[in-house]
Amino acid sequence: MSHAPTGLPFARTDVLADGTAVVTIGGAWNLDSALPAIAIKGDRVKVVAEELTDFDSSLPAWLYAHFKNIRQLDLTALPARLQSLVQMAEKATFSDTHAHDTGFLEHFGTWGVESGSSWGRALEHIGHTTLGFLRMLVGRAKVNWADFKLELQTAGVDALPIVALLGFLTGLIMAYVGLIQLRLVGATVYVANLVSLAMTREMGALMTGIIACGRTSTAYASQLGSMNVSQETDALRALGINPIEYLAVPRILAVTLMVPLLAVFATFIGIFGGMVVACAGDLSIEQYLTQAVRAITFKSFLVGLIKSVAFGFIAAWAGCYRGSVAKRSALGVGEAATSAAVLGITFIVISDALFAVIFNLFDL
Amino acid sequence: MSSADILTCVDLAIGHGSHVIMDRLNLSLPAGKILAIVGPSGCGKSTLMRALGGLDAPLGGTTTLMGVDLNSAEGVRRQDILRQTGFLFQGSALFSSLTLRENIEMPMREFLKAPRQEIRQLAEYKLALVGLADAMDKLPSEISGGMAKRAGIARAMALDPTVIFLDEPSAGLDPVSSGRLDELILRLRDAFGTTVVLVSHEIPSILRTADFCVYLDPDTGTMGAYGPPKSFLQAGQPPKVHAFFSQAHFD
Ligand SMILES: Nc1ncnc2c1ncn2[C@@H]1O[C@H](COP(=O)(O)OP(=O)(O)O)[C@@H](O)[C@H]1O
Ligand SMILES: [Mg+2]
Repeated sequence: MSHAPTGLPFARTDVLADGTAVVTIGGAWNLDSALPAIAIKGDRVKVVAEELTDFDSSLPAWLYAHFKNIRQLDLTALPARLQSLVQMAEKATFSDTHAHDTGFLEHFGTWGVESGSSWGRALEHIGHTTLGFLRMLVGRAKVNWADFKLELQTAGVDALPIVALLGFLTGLIMAYVGLIQLRLVGATVYVANLVSLAMTREMGALMTGIIACGRTSTAYASQLGSMNVSQETDALRALGINPIEYLAVPRILAVTLMVPLLAVFATFIGIFGGMVVACAGDLSIEQYLTQAVRAITFKSFLVGLIKSVAFGFIAAWAGCYRGSVAKRSALGVGEAATSAAVLGITFIVISDALFAVIFNLFDL
Repeated sequence: MSSADILTCVDLAIGHGSHVIMDRLNLSLPAGKILAIVGPSGCGKSTLMRALGGLDAPLGGTTTLMGVDLNSAEGVRRQDILRQTGFLFQGSALFSSLTLRENIEMPMREFLKAPRQEIRQLAEYKLALVGLADAMDKLPSEISGGMAKRAGIARAMALDPTVIFLDEPSAGLDPVSSGRLDELILRLRDAFGTTVVLVSHEIPSILRTADFCVYLDPDTGTMGAYGPPKSFLQAGQPPKVHAFFSQAHFD
């Protein structure tokens, strides 16, 4: 409600001879103003109003918070509508007959635009996401930062064990396969170059991106999909909050930040995995490490990093997108999760191929 | 339609996708009044309310809320109007990962400058108004459907809306509680001049609270009557409307 406020809200306590605390309230009370603090002793309180120019629910809320436990509370000197707003909170008791949640489950539809092909919708969602990020940058978007922090943990830190395991095995397999060939030409020392270069430029980012599709895209698709089913996204829209900004932007941001870190981690673990195989007979640890360090250039490190940023974005976006267009049913949520993983992995592999062409053109 | 009307619709057509379920809807509601939407199950009450609240684009005609056509309004202007409305969805639509208290605090934290402590106070008060003072730290999955409805009402009231939309607020409440809810709605209206649009199946409750009532007739695909609910009981109304209102029990 818009009111013209005059004077700040105030509250003053005077104690009468008989121990009754008289609290005088006044000014203009509204949801955005800083409310006064008071301390009350005793259990007899009378509240009076003085130059109380205006109030919204902040005043009954304040009265309720301060006086709900006072045994003898006298509000009779207050305007009648204010009295009733406080009393409504004190005596509200409701009882329910039965759970009666019909409605949304019988509805099968989608959130967002129903027209156009799925490619059109995907493009539109990317557009909205980009817009959401721009609005976030200029501070105009309402973003759920609690989700962002949570996702740094769940999509990032919690993925460390699986990333470590798969990174290690990838390095190990590559070294094993590489050695078979290199032994024939007596160049086993180059297995270090092979593993470290492949992990840095390619496999670190790719493995982490695919893991993110399996863990994170599917999770986001089912989270956002079921929020769709329970009308939670509608509830956001009803508040004037854009669900893409509020839900998708923090998730995509968190994953886009964490996947590169995980990819670097996977790269090192993979090189270590290769070392275990290579040093089991063919090379000394020192030889392996010297060759590995020589093989990793800043350029290849950069290539891996750029890819992993893109893969992180794709994985998170695929989940958010499939979740937001999920059909409003339990089946729809399941389908959204599956299609998010498929979409994410497909896009990651396609973009990896595009990167290969582009980096080749720019001689990276 | 007068300039004092806070909500109007002209030749409105509503539906899903391209399928029209109701058209030729013409309504106007003065500020501070209570409008009840009635009709048989599945006739389009929820759909109409979503259109009136600006959540779904109409399939034809126009709706205005607080003088603004929400369908053509963009950005800040649209957001400003939506911020001044509260919406209770038929399925409550509580944020399932948040406790009831956090559900009510969420819009406050997003839109108010008030400090944490005051937001807490406000949320507790609004939950107490709907009788949920003892369930504040429960998750939506831990409460009954009727409780979720009431928490949804508290969330719709979070920002002291100018217009509040309530889709079947009394579903799941026993008759006594339903009477209390009527009282709460009336008191809020009287205290803050809140305009209320609600969907209800309970004729006695509608007679007690509503200033205006619209009956949606699925057979004709448009509204059967619009006016004060008491007038629906009098002779001279379309027989179907009269029958619907005189009927004591509903499915
Ligand atoms: N999201 C949706 N997509 C397609 N059809 C829908 C959707 N929601 C509701 N419907 C259909 O529209 C009609 C009106 O629904 P609704 O407005 O929920 O009715 P009421 O609230 O009066 O019970 C119903 O036939 C329903 O099946
Ligand atoms: Mg309905």
